[in-house]
Amino acid sequence: MSCDPVELRAALQSIPWFQDIAPNHFEELCGIACLRQVEAGEEIFREGDKEDFLYIVLEGRVAVDIYVPGRGRMRIFTAEPMDIVGWSSVTPVVRQRTASARVVLPGRLICLDAQKLRMVCDEDHDLGYVVMRRLANVVASRLLVTRLQLLDMFAHPTGEARHE
Amino acid sequence: MSELIPEVGTIAAFPKPVLNQLLDNLRRMGYVTLGPRIVDSAVALEAITGLDDLPRGFTSEEDGGHYRLVYTGHTRYFDITPAAQSWKQFFFPPRSTMFTYRRDNGKWQIEPNPEQAPSYALLGVRPCDLNAILIQDRVFLRPEWSDPIYRSRRQNAFIIAVDCLHPGGTCFCDSMGTGPQAATGFDLSLTELDDLFLLKVGSEAGRMVLGGLALQPASAFLIQSANKGLEDARRRMGRSLPQPENLPEFLLKNLDHPHWDKVAARCLSCTNCTQVCPTCFCWDVVDQPDLELQSSQRVRTWDSCFNPDYSYVAGGNTRPNTRSRYRQWLTHKLASWKHQFDVLGCVGCGRCITWCPAGIDLTREVAALRLESAS
Amino acid sequence: MTFQIAPLSLALDITRPMLPYWAEIVEIKNEAPGIATYWMRFQDPAVRQGYSFHPGQFNMIAVPGYGEAAISISSDSAHNDLIGHTVRATGNVTHTLARMKVGDVVGVRGPFGTYWPLEQYKGYDIIIGTGGIGLPPLRPAINHTIHNRSDYGRVVLLYGARTPADLQFVDEFKVWEEAGIETMITVDRADETWQGQVGVVPILFYRMRMDPRKSIVLTCGPEIMIRFVVYEALARRVPANHIFVSLERNMKCGLGQCGHCQIGPYFVCKDGPVFSFEQLEPYYNVEDL
Repeated sequence: MSCDPVELRAALQSIPWFQDIAPNHFEELCGIACLRQVEAGEEIFREGDKEDFLYIVLEGRVAVDIYVPGRGRMRIFTAEPMDIVGWSSVTPVVRQRTASARVVLPGRLICLDAQKLRMVCDEDHDLGYVVMRRLANVVASRLLVTRLQLLDMFAHPTGEARHE
Repeated sequence: MSELIPEVGTIAAFPKPVLNQLLDNLRRMGYVTLGPRIVDSAVALEAITGLDDLPRGFTSEEDGGHYRLVYTGHTRYFDITPAAQSWKQFFFPPRSTMFTYRRDNGKWQIEPNPEQAPSYALLGVRPCDLNAILIQDRVFLRPEWSDPIYRSRRQNAFIIAVDCLHPGGTCFCDSMGTGPQAATGFDLSLTELDDLFLLKVGSEAGRMVLGGLALQPASAFLIQSANKGLEDARRRMGRSLPQPENLPEFLLKNLDHPHWDKVAARCLSCTNCTQVCPTCFCWDVVDQPDLELQSSQRVRTWDSCFNPDYSYVAGGNTRPNTRSRYRQWLTHKLASWKHQFDVLGCVGCGRCITWCPAGIDLTREVAALRLESAS
Repeated sequence: MTFQIAPLSLALDITRPMLPYWAEIVEIKNEAPGIATYWMRFQDPAVRQGYSFHPGQFNMIAVPGYGEAAISISSDSAHNDLIGHTVRATGNVTHTLARMKVGDVVGVRGPFGTYWPLEQYKGYDIIIGTGGIGLPPLRPAINHTIHNRSDYGRVVLLYGARTPADLQFVDEFKVWEEAGIETMITVDRADETWQGQVGVVPILFYRMRMDPRKSIVLTCGPEIMIRFVVYEALARRVPANHIFVSLERNMKCGLGQCGHCQIGPYFVCKDGPVFSFEQLEPYYNVEDL
């Protein structure tokens, strides 16, 4: 974990998320963020863990798995640079992780302390609105992806052999 | 008695019994003449040898899902309107073998089907049906390829059209611009007056069967009588379909109209309409092997967009319900056809209305669609 | 309105257009579970020499005694001696084909249909979004851009399948990358041994940048996938007449004659299978058309 202010600032500024927010909001977020270097295979969090951080992938690739008894760990999503992992830590829906996250390609992650993020949003509703709006987009696109995966669009057709 | 054979385009007249001589000429030239005959209380298209085979004195009573032959005792031969059969069965047979695979020393060979269709003379082709033949010509005979079965039968065919002076209860050829007078595409065309036939020569082939016939020039009075009869006929059509030229655009813009649900609730998807329609051309082709798989015929049969398997694709059906299939049929006939063949697919013969067991009337369905979308 | 209709090739007799020409199966390659490529060579040397096709077209493959099926041509259009057809076994004909061996003979007619408009869009970026059994008809398009690489800008392949085992032509991905094709692969679901992306093909659009003013989008696959790829392309302001889709319908003749393959006013075998989205737009959201 590196909290070197210069490196952190540069990293945050490279993310589209942070590029057009007010300077004072940017400072508040800098205050609750950290940079983390990750190696391939490293586990970031596991199902059942308490929610603590929200992650933004800077470089590398993070896979999100759910363990299915009898089938093993099923990969349900991969996060690429600029993707968010662990967004549910900011919304008070579930108190623990519902999936595990593991690094597939090494790189760096931005870690935002979830509890502090919630506090900062509660105190400054303008910042809260900006953060929640961005998160709403993330959730919406994940929902769309999940729905499309549900449609199983590449399933083999089940029709019995008929005349062609 | 004039021995002069009229030129193409001229109109002559002859007493009705002379038609028998015309039929004799056709037989001598090798034609099998087909025409309307009464079979099992309906009119079918079968071999005709003389005037006596024709349904003289009959007329037909038609409405949605209703057909009756009625004997009125009049002297005319061609008062009946087209019944369930159309002429398409002769050029586009309901069932034909396209070719046969045959195994020769373990290797497959192909035997094209030698087309030996007889030369047909079609007697009594109504203008609506004549237009239907011309429409099917566009479907089966194209510049880039042609169907050999249709081609061989069509090129040997001789057509004697008959103008329609007594349209039926479901007729609307006037709306579609396909009748009641035969305009083009015939070898000979007849107009039946009370005592004689007017004859119009449509082609050189038409002239060639007129040898030895006692023909008189048609007087102005006769021609005027015929024209008046046609005028009356235009006003006595059983149905109408106003402004059909607007339908391609209108129907393709109203594919989600709620009215389709209403029609679907009544339609049985029975395929009658597509079978009796003189322009419907969809076909299926299947392999019919023998039990040892030493030979297999590729057999073409009529198909219908109402058949459930028609729109089967791997793992599903793109038209899984009656609503979508009825919509396909109607929009193909009155809209898409224009894009595909530069002409509408409906000739106003009314068969689909008469022979629908649910009595669905496409003129009324179109009117309902138009009315409901305007409001 | 149609575009890019190829003149009929020699594997079609215009006086008897339903008669097939014999071709021998020279190689069978299993691509994925249930999917194989059948490489065929016409037996008649004149037909072999005269036959050519454009990327996106299909042949009608006849198995005597069983029937005939429309199968996309998946081989390189620059090499016509052997023609490759990739197909999943789903019906009578394709299941019979799946039981055939090298040396067996089938009937072939074709090629039929409209094709990917690559000639028309030289200088453009070619964005290909496909998945599952949709990749075979696009493979000749990829080959064409490789043979004419300097004629095109970026060539991007977004490809997905249900699971890693269902990915086809995997051994060629490297060749394509080396030829300058950007490839992004994803699967719907995987286990932890899969190191690549998991997610559906349409969202690969979120992973890349494109310039809508100089891109065309080619797509083929299950219609639900096509629908979402088209949405993503439209959302990125690609004009409807620069999005091309390949559709599939029940086909018996390949000639626009038997009627089965109609969608609205179009015959998919003759006015398609490749359509511009602009042609399809009025009919696209009509259910069960």
